[in-house]
Amino acid sequence: MSSVLEFKHISKYFPGVKALDDISFQAYGGEVLAFLGENGAGKSTLLKTLNGDYQPTSGEYLLDGEQKHFRSPHEAIQEGISVIYQERQILLELSVAENIYLGRMPANGFGVIDTRKANQMAQQIINDFGLPIRPTTKVKDLSIAYQQMVEIMKAYSRDNLRVICFDEPTASLSDAEIDSLFSVIEKLRAEGKIVLYVSHRMAEIRRIADKVAIFKDGRYVATVRTEDVTDEELVRMMVGRDLGDIFSSLDRNKQIGDVLLEVKDVSSDFVRPVSFTLHRGEILGFSGLVGAGRTELMRAIIGADRMKSGEVLLEGKPIRSRSPYEAMKNGIVLVPEDRKLQGILSNLSVSGNINISMLDRNANALGVISEKKEAAVAAHGIDEFRIKTPSPEKKIVELSGGNQQKCIVARWIATEPKVLILDEPTKGIDVGAKSEFYAMICEFAKQGLGVILISSELPEVIGLSDRIIVMRDRAVSGEVMREDATEDKLLSLGMMGED
Amino acid sequence: MENGTAQKRKITDYIGGDKLILLGAIAVVFILFTALNKNYFTMTNFINLLVAMSLVGLVSVGHTYLIIAGQNDLSPGSLAAFSGVLAALLLSKGMPIVPAILITLAGGFVVGEFNAWMVNQIKLEAFIATLVTQNIVRGFAYIMCGGKPISIANKAYLAIGKLRLIGIPVSVWLMILAYVIFGFILARTKFGRSVYAIGGSKEAARLAGLNPNRIIRRSFVLIGMLTALGGIVFSSRMNSGQPAANVNLEFDAITGVILGGVSFAGGVGDMFGTVLGVFLIQAFNTGLIMVNVSTFWQYVARGALLLFALTSDYIRKQRREKELLEASMKNLG
Repeated sequence: MSSVLEFKHISKYFPGVKALDDISFQAYGGEVLAFLGENGAGKSTLLKTLNGDYQPTSGEYLLDGEQKHFRSPHEAIQEGISVIYQERQILLELSVAENIYLGRMPANGFGVIDTRKANQMAQQIINDFGLPIRPTTKVKDLSIAYQQMVEIMKAYSRDNLRVICFDEPTASLSDAEIDSLFSVIEKLRAEGKIVLYVSHRMAEIRRIADKVAIFKDGRYVATVRTEDVTDEELVRMMVGRDLGDIFSSLDRNKQIGDVLLEVKDVSSDFVRPVSFTLHRGEILGFSGLVGAGRTELMRAIIGADRMKSGEVLLEGKPIRSRSPYEAMKNGIVLVPEDRKLQGILSNLSVSGNINISMLDRNANALGVISEKKEAAVAAHGIDEFRIKTPSPEKKIVELSGGNQQKCIVARWIATEPKVLILDEPTKGIDVGAKSEFYAMICEFAKQGLGVILISSELPEVIGLSDRIIVMRDRAVSGEVMREDATEDKLLSLGMMGED
Repeated sequence: MENGTAQKRKITDYIGGDKLILLGAIAVVFILFTALNKNYFTMTNFINLLVAMSLVGLVSVGHTYLIIAGQNDLSPGSLAAFSGVLAALLLSKGMPIVPAILITLAGGFVVGEFNAWMVNQIKLEAFIATLVTQNIVRGFAYIMCGGKPISIANKAYLAIGKLRLIGIPVSVWLMILAYVIFGFILARTKFGRSVYAIGGSKEAARLAGLNPNRIIRRSFVLIGMLTALGGIVFSSRMNSGQPAANVNLEFDAITGVILGGVSFAGGVGDMFGTVLGVFLIQAFNTGLIMVNVSTFWQYVARGALLLFALTSDYIRKQRREKELLEASMKNLG
């Protein structure tokens, strides 16, 4: 009889986020069920509530009709539910066998560990898996792929393993390594295990998954048999909208003005010398892979990191920004990528967050803050950016991610900047709020601001920017005008550079 | 929240629930010790209690700023003793009172700068950095006087500890003044707001245009100078500079601040809470002395009180997180 894992009305809230919204479906033994969805759709969170890493706010799990609730991943593992994460969870200094039997090494009557027996047992599993590794090898001497295999064997070595989950397992594997991973997954399936498989990669899902469960904005959409649907149908279910429509309906700025910002050979400890210009009313996109140096370049420009060389001219005049404060005084501001740690001040209210960069202007000569001025700035920001909050005095962390981000934008717009730098402004924000942001960004350009948009979402950067600079390996690798921008072009510039 | 205006106004709308609990605890302490010793609930004892509180009160003002900013300071006990010895030494060499006081205050300034330098430039944890200072400064207090208390003869200086205005000693006035002025600065000024902001997230505050290092520096200088002032008043009351005095001063101040609702995690709390928290501790300590609890057991009681303060800090934090989650659930549907 094949086992059944039932997700029943699972919801999970975090402050400001409804990460999982009433999710119900079933997964069956002897099948590989893929979880498909955009970033932030809730796939990984769902796995974490399953294995006790997070506690669901409501809902329950039934494994073969029996209710399961785990207070920690350790409890889940003992009950036969294992999750293999992107990051390895093994001890590098220990041997393969020691890792597999960690915490339950075979021992003799005196409690002395029987290493030889452990090695024999481990060798058995290694043979089952058909791997060319030895039980005595230290895990740190293995490749990433084999380290992952050790984790799988660790889960497999428990007699009661019933559910095994993979969270983006192929992220750092080569093609050959993926092949051997898949043959292991096929073996697990053949033995009747329930296999859950989280991935973005459509080709992989086609290859390994029997069924696909689709998630969108924390909600469960549907489960379909992989062979019954086309890739396009899957994408539509997962995205639930046509991005092209959103971008083509934007009211873009048509009058791009003269040069506003000139960046000449600016470098820091984290980015090589970069030059570019930005015009008034222009949206300048920055594309590239994560770690290409885009954030680091902007941090150097606003003085968050020390600028090692180069100069910055604003409206033709050289400026110096040795700190974000000086950059703000000069009229250059940054909405950072990591909203939670670098954007919001989690202990302050909505009003406190909007006003934090206005302290100089809101206070009198003695430094006493005018409550009236603060209230006016907050009210204006809440109104202008349609921030949904019960009151300006609400803690910012009670708001949704999109509204928190609007507060950060309101904070900077209140300082009347000339250059607005947005670093991944729509990351982790739901679709409705995203299109609001797009309209907002176009509006800023129309008002004559120079907007720099760092985005890893290709449709977003192509859909919004007048011009796109691509970075690779901490330097500029190319520049593309709006008319010529395609996803392929940006990708190849981002990965290979100009031919 | 829509029906909030329709509800009857409760007392907790004006004064936080945590503060009501503190007031309740103070009442319990008063009732308990008055039952054990009827001299406890008298005007004389009340004034004595405030005088005893004045030094820890001044220090707690500084700790309120520092802990809200995500920092801490273990050096005030040593610095207060050092300041008393320094002032007594300068006076004994024939220096007039005003320069002697100014130099002593400057000593507090320098110690604050030194603490801030270790935290900002060498990136030491405040706990460790100020533990260093605690020992160095205590050492210098002993070195300066050769280990023996220096008695003070200067009449004007001794008057600081004895003088009363409207029946209340100057030392108490200084504490009240510090609570009011720095309470206002914390709640209503640019500097105060910046202290909260960097306690919430130092990096986010820096990217928003604040200067965390400068705010941390000013907070350390503030506590240094308030402690030096407290040390001066204390030595005046004692008629001497005593190198071994004020051990565990920071312990009482920190306990009071945390009891008062400032979170060890930073970013949360206010000066009124500190006033109540420190008063509670002082009422408790004075009570223990008045009912003749041995010094040894007083140590145990103090430790227990700090444990209680930290536990309540933890419970408050859990509750904040829970409220946050519930508020999110309501806002997000």
